[in-house]
Amino acid sequence: MITVNSVTKTFGEGTSEIRAVDTVDLEVQPGEFIIIMGRSGSGKSTLLGMLAGLIRPTAGTIRIKGLDINTLNDNQIAELRSQEIGFVFQFSGLIPTVTALENVLIPTLFCPNGPGNRETALGLLKQVGVADRADAYPGTLSSGEMKRVAIARALINKPSLLIADEPTGDLDIATESEIMALFRQLNSEGITIIMVTHNPDLIPCATRTYRMSQGRLKREPDSPSCPGEQRTRDENTDLR
Amino acid sequence: MSSAKNFSFFVLVARNLQNRPYRNIAMVLSFAIIAGTLFSAQYLAGGARQSLETGMDMMGADILVVPDKYAAASQAVILTGEISTFFFNDTGFEKISQIPGVAKASPEIYIATLYGQACCAGPVQIIAIDPGSDFTIATWLKENPGVTMGKDDIIVGSAISGDIGSDLLFYGHTFHIVGRLARTGMGLDMAVFTRIEDAYTMANESGVKAVRKLTIPPGMVSAVLVRVEPGTSPAGISDEIKQRVPGTKTMTPNGLLSTISGQLGAITSLLYGSTIAVTLISIPLLGSISAMVAHEKKKEIAILHALGATKSFIVRLMMAESFSLASLGALTGIGIAVLILVGFQDFIAFTLRIPFTIPSPLMIVAYAGSALLLSIVIGGIASLYPAYLINHSEPYETMRKGES
Repeated sequence: MITVNSVTKTFGEGTSEIRAVDTVDLEVQPGEFIIIMGRSGSGKSTLLGMLAGLIRPTAGTIRIKGLDINTLNDNQIAELRSQEIGFVFQFSGLIPTVTALENVLIPTLFCPNGPGNRETALGLLKQVGVADRADAYPGTLSSGEMKRVAIARALINKPSLLIADEPTGDLDIATESEIMALFRQLNSEGITIIMVTHNPDLIPCATRTYRMSQGRLKREPDSPSCPGEQRTRDENTDLR
Repeated sequence: MSSAKNFSFFVLVARNLQNRPYRNIAMVLSFAIIAGTLFSAQYLAGGARQSLETGMDMMGADILVVPDKYAAASQAVILTGEISTFFFNDTGFEKISQIPGVAKASPEIYIATLYGQACCAGPVQIIAIDPGSDFTIATWLKENPGVTMGKDDIIVGSAISGDIGSDLLFYGHTFHIVGRLARTGMGLDMAVFTRIEDAYTMANESGVKAVRKLTIPPGMVSAVLVRVEPGTSPAGISDEIKQRVPGTKTMTPNGLLSTISGQLGAITSLLYGSTIAVTLISIPLLGSISAMVAHEKKKEIAILHALGATKSFIVRLMMAESFSLASLGALTGIGIAVLILVGFQDFIAFTLRIPFTIPSPLMIVAYAGSALLLSIVIGGIASLYPAYLINHSEPYETMRKGES
């Protein structure tokens, strides 16, 4: 699915050069749930940005479904993102001038022949538990509601890869559990997930966990239980 | 640009515009002022030009000969409707008729009526014509075959009160309205045309019927209208007239046009200058707003990038928003300008002392189109900075700097 080969990203030049990502290798198989941990400034978000084609690596190659994204131009990368990658930001990343439903529909503008439409958008809002807020503007939504809308938006074009940058960072424990349950559910349906988080409690949710430190990526040992697992089984029966 | 997904590019543009009202109102107002000012300048200049052309066409003369010392007064009679009475000896008329190249010459007598008196309907310019030689009213009569101009009949300008068939009283003499000329926007609109012999009758009776006697010196006229033979230069005939009839001033439609153009030039310079000034003042304002927009939208744009938008989509989005604001502003400005200019056209023409008539619909559309185009061009320039920022920003870093 994704092959990262000796990827390095530096910012600045000479004495002010910062090596945000340093010679990272990573292989992600379809259906995996990868969690990347690390402190602020460790380079994990930069790595995610490169995986999504939003940041060009300084060195190394990134292949998504066999395509070397370094060889793609901006429009080709944008097309790849719109069709194959769903992105959930650290903050909600909702466009404030359009409603929750319209926010979910925005990616359909970039993928006009994709599967997303009003009905699927409403279905996704129902799936993430905010169908009753479809016509609300982001300014009137709670943090949890905004995050759910953002997840629904990331799924509208039925991507094979979901990239999430600290998606539960600003949420309370209960909402975090619900979001993680949702991610687990999506993963069980075959969506590959790569998630960055600060929270070590979420490690058990992953099939593999990595820690990033000073731009270097290192695998972490696996852990037995994931927050929200119980809720997933007992309560989120409407998840697909 | 649109998708058949119940949400389209245009809905996104519309939502972005609707939900940022204060910033957008400021931009719409700026564009409205720019477009409204330019439209007004073109409208007034075009209306004055059309008025002159219509009026000159109606007069049908190639040369207007007047007493030298009354040149300004006669010009005011024709152009702006300032009433006046003056004469020169019509022996000149005989000489003018005999100049080779003169096809027709027709004398006219200009009489300012009394006003504020029981004897008179109001302050109008009576222009007494010679039906035998006239080619101003004669042309109109040909176009209106049901109308004849008999004893005490008058044909009135478009601005004269009174229905066709009703009477008007001048110097105690009753005249009968038989026709009304089309609007020219010139002084002719405030003139009343009668026959010279009726004017003499009116003058003879005025000693008894009016509060002040009108005297028309026998054999004297106020002006001579000249039509030259085809292929003859009006300028050459003018020179010949001035040589043969000393003390005369000749005026040609082109001369009047250039006189008015000079007068109009000052006004149009002022109006176009205002447009440039308003545009120059608006550009920093629009630039500031655009910069605010650019910074405000950087994060949103980065989000759109991350969701799969291409740079060209983002540029189209920015341009569409800018063009929408420019168009909305321009149409608002033009609409307000039309309301003011049409509603107060007489007041404006009077204040500016220019002949004026509403330009043709085609010209109005052309003026509106150019004002709209200017706004759109400025709108395009205003969106260059945001577009530059978009193409030179690091979307992922922008996105991570704070919550939207």
